[in-house]
Amino acid sequence: MATRLKEVDVVIVGLGWTGGILASELAQAGMTVVALERGAMRSTNPDFSIPLIRDELRFATRHGLMQNTARDTLTFRNRQSETALPMRQLGSFLPGEGVGGAGVHWNGVTWRWTTIDHAARTHYEQRYGKGFIPPDMAVQDWPMTYAELEPFYDRFERTAGVSGKVGNLRGQPQPGGNVFEAPRDRDYPLPPLQQNYAQELFDNVSREAGYHPFPRPSANASRAYTNPDGSRLGACVYCGHCERFGCEANAKGSPHITVIPLAMARSNFELRTHSWVTKVQLDSTKRRATGVVYTDVTTGEEYEQPASIVALCAYAINNVHLMLLSGIGTPYDATAQRGVIGRNYCYQPGGGGVTLFFEDKIFNPFMATGAFGTTIDDFHANADFDRKLMGGIGGATITVGQSNGRPIGYRPVPAGTPRWGAEWKKATAKWYLRAMNIGVTAGNMPNRYNAYDLDPTYKNVFGQPLLRLTYNFLENDKKVVAYGGQRAAELARRLNPTSMTGPGTLGDYSIVPYQSTHNTGGAVMGASPKDSAVNRYLQSWDVSNVFVVGASAFPHNSAYNPTGPVGALAYWTADAIKNRYRKKPGPLA
Amino acid sequence: MTSARAWQFGLVAAALVAGGSLAPTRAADLERGKASFDKCAACHGLGGEADLDGPTLKDVMGRQAGSLEGYRYSAAMKRSGVTWTTMTLDAYITDPQEFIKGNRMAFAGIADQAERADLIAYIEQASKAAP
Repeated sequence: MATRLKEVDVVIVGLGWTGGILASELAQAGMTVVALERGAMRSTNPDFSIPLIRDELRFATRHGLMQNTARDTLTFRNRQSETALPMRQLGSFLPGEGVGGAGVHWNGVTWRWTTIDHAARTHYEQRYGKGFIPPDMAVQDWPMTYAELEPFYDRFERTAGVSGKVGNLRGQPQPGGNVFEAPRDRDYPLPPLQQNYAQELFDNVSREAGYHPFPRPSANASRAYTNPDGSRLGACVYCGHCERFGCEANAKGSPHITVIPLAMARSNFELRTHSWVTKVQLDSTKRRATGVVYTDVTTGEEYEQPASIVALCAYAINNVHLMLLSGIGTPYDATAQRGVIGRNYCYQPGGGGVTLFFEDKIFNPFMATGAFGTTIDDFHANADFDRKLMGGIGGATITVGQSNGRPIGYRPVPAGTPRWGAEWKKATAKWYLRAMNIGVTAGNMPNRYNAYDLDPTYKNVFGQPLLRLTYNFLENDKKVVAYGGQRAAELARRLNPTSMTGPGTLGDYSIVPYQSTHNTGGAVMGASPKDSAVNRYLQSWDVSNVFVVGASAFPHNSAYNPTGPVGALAYWTADAIKNRYRKKPGPLA
Repeated sequence: MTSARAWQFGLVAAALVAGGSLAPTRAADLERGKASFDKCAACHGLGGEADLDGPTLKDVMGRQAGSLEGYRYSAAMKRSGVTWTTMTLDAYITDPQEFIKGNRMAFAGIADQAERADLIAYIEQASKAAP
């Protein structure tokens, strides 16, 4: 039987970026807060110190900082006619585990999403007519405008120490920045990172072609920085060990060096690690949560933690899983088109990029950071770009970055090179320094069949049904990726490489090779309980003392990385709890 | 100091003296040094802090490298045989991995000699003044 613990104001499930932001904001507001993190404690010293953290085999290949699929995973199928099977090794995406969550091992790319993203259905219908959005594409508007969220985007950028260059200052275009971005009230807290040689080439050639290149906003600190909370970041050393690693130099904006220590400094905050939440407990009306049940995975003992507010701040996938396991809201049924919990799962198609090989150029790919890059947004944030040319909805960003040049994972070779043996060895030695990539990242629109539900067969280590994911790329995705790939290839040819590979085309989605840890939707936000799980304050429509924070709330996926709005929405939700819910508990919308 | 290290350090010191970089031609600018210390402050304090990622720099001058009680140093730092002085700190901050190979400080170094001089002057002053 579960041991019943003392009631607190707030219990937070998962202590990464969103949990850390809520913990720090709510604890500083004087609320009693307990955070339950299923993984271990993590700190820069000793967990991310060199040379330990530069172990590519342990952290990149074997996913040393990530979710253990032997305990919990999901099942996957491309289409409803198939039987879903468990994902027994991580591949396509890498959910975090441990204090700091995926915020420890992210790359640091920090966008504000576009004004189109904030009002996608309205924008496409007004501009292209109602018939332009296919009937099975469940595009919907965000329940808050970009302007409403702007101060919270700013707050997150200051917390995480984002390096970048403003492109739209209160409506005034700023050359050198992203002139297509939504208006910002002020510049980034830090200047852009240094460009590498490949980025300079791309900057020049895309400018010649009439596009608008700019430095990609990066939570890799271009110089030492003290954030508004007094957290100190070091300067990035361009070591190329961001994604899949913790930062040895405290230069990557991460929750374990910013918001989490702020919470930990408060006596009204308590962190319990190795604490695996299996269920949110509801009262007999199913309209109110009484707390959560969790297991201490070091002892197997079960506890009940009563709380006035439950904040689900786990990885986007696990937030949805917990809602379904707990019976919060109506599960989505793709066939009957009923319910909401599980709908609008989206991902982020890549694959349209090109790799260029030059006999006469040296790129030094080991000088790298997770997020630095030179991007053109002419085919995504640019509202004037005619989507009819692309034949699809959304868009694609085109970027030259260099997240790493690590010896196991980074082995670019020209087309036609044998996959192994002496010829491969010769080619990999020759081309390691002489290759650059132009990447294409496409947005992803929701489809009625791309969704989660509970698996009928497979169970996790606690005997609970696994989450089942049904997902595939669709015609829209193929068109957007193809269009972006063609533009990337045109720019590549202008650089006159010795040879190039790509652009690739999109087939069925595979969950095996890494693509991105940008899983969105499943518990989406919206203006009505008919088509959303949570309201504009990320508060459950059905159980008003449950808040579900993170990328699970996105109704679609942008061509941008998710962490900017994830952080902004966490501050926005914390603000609503502190200043509205606390005074008058109950539905906020 | 092991003989090999001593020999190596002797060369570094000799090179620095020969280059004239240790002969102060200008008074250290403590304000600039304080600003430069931002580069260190993500990991190091000057007042005896035990909760930061790097060892405190309180009373660092004259301290044997890798000797602070309670801080877990790399073997390289403990073995270095270095004593922290203006000269050794200058060599270390110029290129940390070159001066003590295999140490754990994640810092690229400061190439500008004047900036290092200001920084070290500030560290020397502030680490002594700390309570």
